[in-house]
Amino acid sequence: MQTTAEQIEQDLLRPLFHSSGKYWIAVAIATSLLLAGVAAFGYQLYAGIGVWGLNSPVFWAFDITNFVFWIGISHAGTLISAILRLTNATWRRPVTRCAEAITVFSVLIGAIIPLCHIGRPWLAYWMIPYPSERHIWPNFRSPLAWDFFAISTYLTGSTTFLYLPTIPDFAAVRDVSTGLRKKIYRVLALGWQGTPRQWQRLEVAMHIMAVVIVPVAVSVHTIVSWDFAMTLVPMWHSSIFGPYFVAGAIFSGIAALILAMALLRKFLHLEQYLRPIHFENLGKLLLTMSLLWFYFTFAERLTAWYGNSPPEMAVFWESIRKNFAPLFWTMVVCNFIIPVPILAIKRLRTITGTAIASATVVVGMWLERFLIVVPALEHKFLPYSWGTYRPTWVEDTLMASSFGMMALLYLLFSKFVPMISIWEMKVGLQSHAGVPMVAPAEGQVALEGPQ
Amino acid sequence: MAHKWGMVVDLDRCTGCEACVVACHAENNIPTAGEDQAARGRAKHWIRVERYWEGDFPNPRVRFQPVLCQQCDEAPCEPVCPTYASYHTPEGLNSQVYNRCIGTRFCANACPYNVRFFNFYNPEWDKPLQLQLNPDVSVRSVGVMEKCTFCVQRIKAAEIQAEAEKRELKDGEFTTACAQSCASKALIFGDLNDSTSEVARLASSNRGTKLLGELGTKPNVTYLERGTWEDANHG
Amino acid sequence: MERRDFIKISALSGVMATLEGCRSAEKQLIRFVPEEELIPGIATIKPSVCTVCSAGCGLLVRVMQGEAEVVRHGQQGLIKMGLAKKLEGNPQHPVNQGKLCARGQASLQLLYHPDRITHPIKRIGPRGSGEFQAISWDDALKEVSAHLGTLQASGSANSLAFLSRPLSGQRGELITKFLKTYGAPPPGWYQPFDEAVLRQANLLSFGHAALPTFDLASADYVICFGADFLGTWNSPVAQSIGYGEMRQGRPGRRAKLVQIEARMSQTGANADEWIACRPGMEGVLALGIAHIILAEKLAPQGAGSRPGPLIAGWQEGLPGYAPEAVEKQTGVSAVVIKRLAHELTQSGSAVAMIGGPPLAHTNGLFNALAVNALESLVDKQSVLSFTPQVGDAAPVQASLAALHGLSAQPPQMLLLYEANPVFSAPPSARVREALAKIPYIVSFGSFIDETSAQADLILPDHAALESWVDNVAESGSSRAVASLAPPAVLPLHDTRPMADVLLGLGRQLGGEVAKALPWATYDAMLRAAFVPLRTRPGSIDVKTDDDFWDAAQTQGGWWSSTSTTPPGAAVKRAPLSAASPEFAGAAADFPFYFLPYVSQSFGDGSLAHLPWLQELPDVLTSAMWSSWVEINPKTGDRLGIKQGDLVEIASQQGTVRAAAVLSPGIAPDMVAMPVGQGHENFTRFASGRGANPLSILAPLTEQETGSLAWAATRVKIARAGGPEQARLVLFAGGMSGFPHEEQPR
Repeated sequence: MQTTAEQIEQDLLRPLFHSSGKYWIAVAIATSLLLAGVAAFGYQLYAGIGVWGLNSPVFWAFDITNFVFWIGISHAGTLISAILRLTNATWRRPVTRCAEAITVFSVLIGAIIPLCHIGRPWLAYWMIPYPSERHIWPNFRSPLAWDFFAISTYLTGSTTFLYLPTIPDFAAVRDVSTGLRKKIYRVLALGWQGTPRQWQRLEVAMHIMAVVIVPVAVSVHTIVSWDFAMTLVPMWHSSIFGPYFVAGAIFSGIAALILAMALLRKFLHLEQYLRPIHFENLGKLLLTMSLLWFYFTFAERLTAWYGNSPPEMAVFWESIRKNFAPLFWTMVVCNFIIPVPILAIKRLRTITGTAIASATVVVGMWLERFLIVVPALEHKFLPYSWGTYRPTWVEDTLMASSFGMMALLYLLFSKFVPMISIWEMKVGLQSHAGVPMVAPAEGQVALEGPQ
Repeated sequence: MAHKWGMVVDLDRCTGCEACVVACHAENNIPTAGEDQAARGRAKHWIRVERYWEGDFPNPRVRFQPVLCQQCDEAPCEPVCPTYASYHTPEGLNSQVYNRCIGTRFCANACPYNVRFFNFYNPEWDKPLQLQLNPDVSVRSVGVMEKCTFCVQRIKAAEIQAEAEKRELKDGEFTTACAQSCASKALIFGDLNDSTSEVARLASSNRGTKLLGELGTKPNVTYLERGTWEDANHG
Repeated sequence: MERRDFIKISALSGVMATLEGCRSAEKQLIRFVPEEELIPGIATIKPSVCTVCSAGCGLLVRVMQGEAEVVRHGQQGLIKMGLAKKLEGNPQHPVNQGKLCARGQASLQLLYHPDRITHPIKRIGPRGSGEFQAISWDDALKEVSAHLGTLQASGSANSLAFLSRPLSGQRGELITKFLKTYGAPPPGWYQPFDEAVLRQANLLSFGHAALPTFDLASADYVICFGADFLGTWNSPVAQSIGYGEMRQGRPGRRAKLVQIEARMSQTGANADEWIACRPGMEGVLALGIAHIILAEKLAPQGAGSRPGPLIAGWQEGLPGYAPEAVEKQTGVSAVVIKRLAHELTQSGSAVAMIGGPPLAHTNGLFNALAVNALESLVDKQSVLSFTPQVGDAAPVQASLAALHGLSAQPPQMLLLYEANPVFSAPPSARVREALAKIPYIVSFGSFIDETSAQADLILPDHAALESWVDNVAESGSSRAVASLAPPAVLPLHDTRPMADVLLGLGRQLGGEVAKALPWATYDAMLRAAFVPLRTRPGSIDVKTDDDFWDAAQTQGGWWSSTSTTPPGAAVKRAPLSAASPEFAGAAADFPFYFLPYVSQSFGDGSLAHLPWLQELPDVLTSAMWSSWVEINPKTGDRLGIKQGDLVEIASQQGTVRAAAVLSPGIAPDMVAMPVGQGHENFTRFASGRGANPLSILAPLTEQETGSLAWAATRVKIARAGGPEQARLVLFAGGMSGFPHEEQPR
């Protein structure tokens, strides 16, 4: 199969200029889900947060589950993109932008959720450290204050990390556009002309971001895990939470990425670019993460069980064999029992196979967050105060709308930005042709086909 | 010396009558949840009498345990509040500053004693029940956390009165609503820093334990163990 | 204290009406001129008396200025007035010494209840339809006066009936005098859980027809047969004070509590030793213990010699009550019986008491006499005494008799006060039918309930805190106590105190009635009754009657200097033989004993309309806003009933349904339900909620007194549905160490 640079541009820019009917249907569905969420939130503001299913003692449930879930999903992007860039894995090229986009949007959703779940959302800005008229700063000892800083840093960083490599592509769009579109993309392209100096700056900037974003990403999810681990709640107060959450985040993030890629491949006709090898490699990463997830889960549960501390065992048995057992074992099936064979056996590790495994992992990881939050809160130290939790339609709607928002942002993104980095694919072409992979030092990109 | 407010709960005196529970509601403007909200786990009893069964018929045993905010010296609810709504006063109280609370509910999750309660809705009283509301206690709006304050309005009123009269506070001059109603004197409130006070004397009893003391929360509520007949009459 | 002239005020306020600038036109309300001087923000503490149970505890009411929406002469407006904010016990009051129980604390909600009847109403629809129309006081009183006058003039004065809960003090006196001088029969004192059996027993055993007083603070050993003395029985606050002292109030000396009952009550939960005894056999158990004491000569010579012989066989050493025989009858092992006998007599100061379910059997009097005999055998330090009375104690009828009177000879006119027999009387009393035969019914109630809904005219009484209240303590104190208090707050609504209304009607009637009741207002009557106490040694030492009257109002009453009235001589009569308790329903068809019990939240059901009490978690089950039936877990397993399931309980008289609560504290052949829910019509908080166990009680009565044997019904039970239908609301989650936990919400 011969791919020329022109072909690349044509294929990857096509979605920006043409949309199928299916696209608009998808947008419509995503938008209605989002609007349903907005309406539900409006109802919540009007009637009070009592319209949720929270109670005493389960003061966090769907809200925090979804928060952690979305922040978790965000890890794929930046980590894949950053680590794969740093390790020079060439197969990453078509994957990086999809991944980085997932990161930015899921962090955004993850950042919005806490604003919606607090009792007085109109005062959320008190989390911002500014010299307030109340003569008081936020409490920097609180993990929620850490969340604020971590997530805003991560959001800024990952947006930058997404934006930088898009600049040359914005320039490419600008160059083939007219009228209003041209004006917009000219602004977005920041005057990119593709000079060697600009390329060099871009490479340096991206390298710095790639190095910086990794610890940021690790710290973000560690800090999110400390929302739980810093309390004394039985089965929360565990030092394993930091690494456990980061590993789980990467795990769910890769799964989300694979799903997104599978959908893009099908609906944007990117079969040439998102090839089985990509799914294979990501599938292997997913397998590694599944094994790692299993290891962490087993280690955490084994130590709790062995220690046999009564408050912890009350929570432990809830998940293993009591009220939450169905959800717990579903989670194990979704995160381990289904994915591992699919991903380990080469014959099954196809695009369809990895997509199925990823779908179960996404479900399983959502369940994992839920099972961390709710059983522990239902069963704290004093049995007289144990309780139960059931979500209401408001929480269900808000959760569905978070998926709608993700889909909508992603769909809109695909309309305005090439989902696969054009210039990186061109560089990839070159490298395939034996030319060094770094950006050309001088002059144009050589448009020679592969030998 | 500054005051350090504390309480002693004598489990051998507590009869489980729950006068304390109703007295607290009356004193502190706690809204009644109603059947539906209570069924959903939103009843707010700042002090509750826990009951634990042991054994089966014909030898069942019951233990009553009044639980209220322990006003911990090392309160797990304080570091986690991002807006300092849960904060430790110089007199040893864990104070809930309603105006600062934005309702993250982190403190309620962090509290091992489950003594924090959240306003899921704006409170309402069927008229004219609102005429009974205590003007010395704020009514909490939706989205705000609340809990036992050791009747801080009574503490403040007594301190102001003593200062105006240029004298020290006397032990027993005032007390919390729950302790005031407790017929068997199971609840004793006072200044732990006043060595002559009844609460200081009882808190050092060899029957004294702390609820979930092993967690290191350093509660300022001391529980005196329920006696047994065999022990008691031998000193 | 005199009432202000409202006509003057409303004229003034009409002129001086001020409108709130920031309110919308519809919300602009007139401001009435305040009727009292109060400093905003500063509380005034006023005495009062708690009227929700017969203990009569003294109150302090915290009154602060606030703004209330009121209706004055048909105009709605705002008025600054003293509002009651909090109730506390009165530290000086001998009965409760500054403490107060949950129901007393909650009684504050009676004053500001949203469903209070705010003005007189007259029935316009059929009886019980709830269709009432407002009527002015003048018209209402004219109507009642006319009825009373006609009845008297036509020679049917004896066809006037008055049904009320038992009232001590001057209110009872007023009603009694009114009826007597009118020519009507004495008032029917009705109360669902009257302790008529115990009073009769105490009269026979100790010469006092009264509830007992216990100095628990001086006891070392308490053996209690069925009385929930820390919860709802007799004078719970006074008893709880004594209990606290007997446990930890005397260094090195801690009393033991042994509780004997078939269902663990709140009191039983505090016992050092809880002993399950077959229902109705408590007397036999007591005599089994007494047998050992007599046989082994464990008590001093002459102990028990007075009440003892009331029991057949006492003089012979109770031959029929050897431990093995008693074990067979009661289910309590002989070893335990012997040990209890020794412990009782070895302890420094012991007391035996009985109350509640053991007396509510057909052999209740026997059980009481037996325990009284045991008590006199073991109580060396006079833990038991009787509160000295002020004036004559009112004779207390058995409540069923009061109701039977209504059925047997329906009066022409019935006056109702603080009684709800339609709800609380057993079906055999046929109260609804009896009321239907009475042409004219007037109620003084503050609320529409099942009984007042049958009235033709309602003349709403003030709330207790708005009234002159008085009470004479029947028990709970070693001194004579006459409680007294002026109104703590001005009236909120267009209500009038029952006592003043009755006095006014008396004046209208003229003749003997007016002569016997010459006072214009109730406080004048109270003054006349109280002032003679000045010369008795007591809590008020002043020279003039005026000073005495003022001091009594400020203190919350008058009480005598300490004096105790020890148990007196027993009455001489033929010894009573043991009788087995009878039960309604054959054991084969109705395998379970049924125990309705007085609820910690609602008392006898009369407080179910208070939201604080509905939301108060029952201390043993943690249930709120619910009805439930307590079932032993093994029974539950056998019948396939799980925690929270809907259960149908059927007696020969009827069925009720309630949620099941599995409880280890109840015998496998017994089920128990709290009294208080199951109101069909009792304000927004209690209507249509839960089930009423009193509605399935059998008409068995105690042999001698005729009191309702409310523990003598047998039932069968069956699962009728799942938790969703039962809607049990619990505050507690899990229960440690108890396998039947984890219920779905």
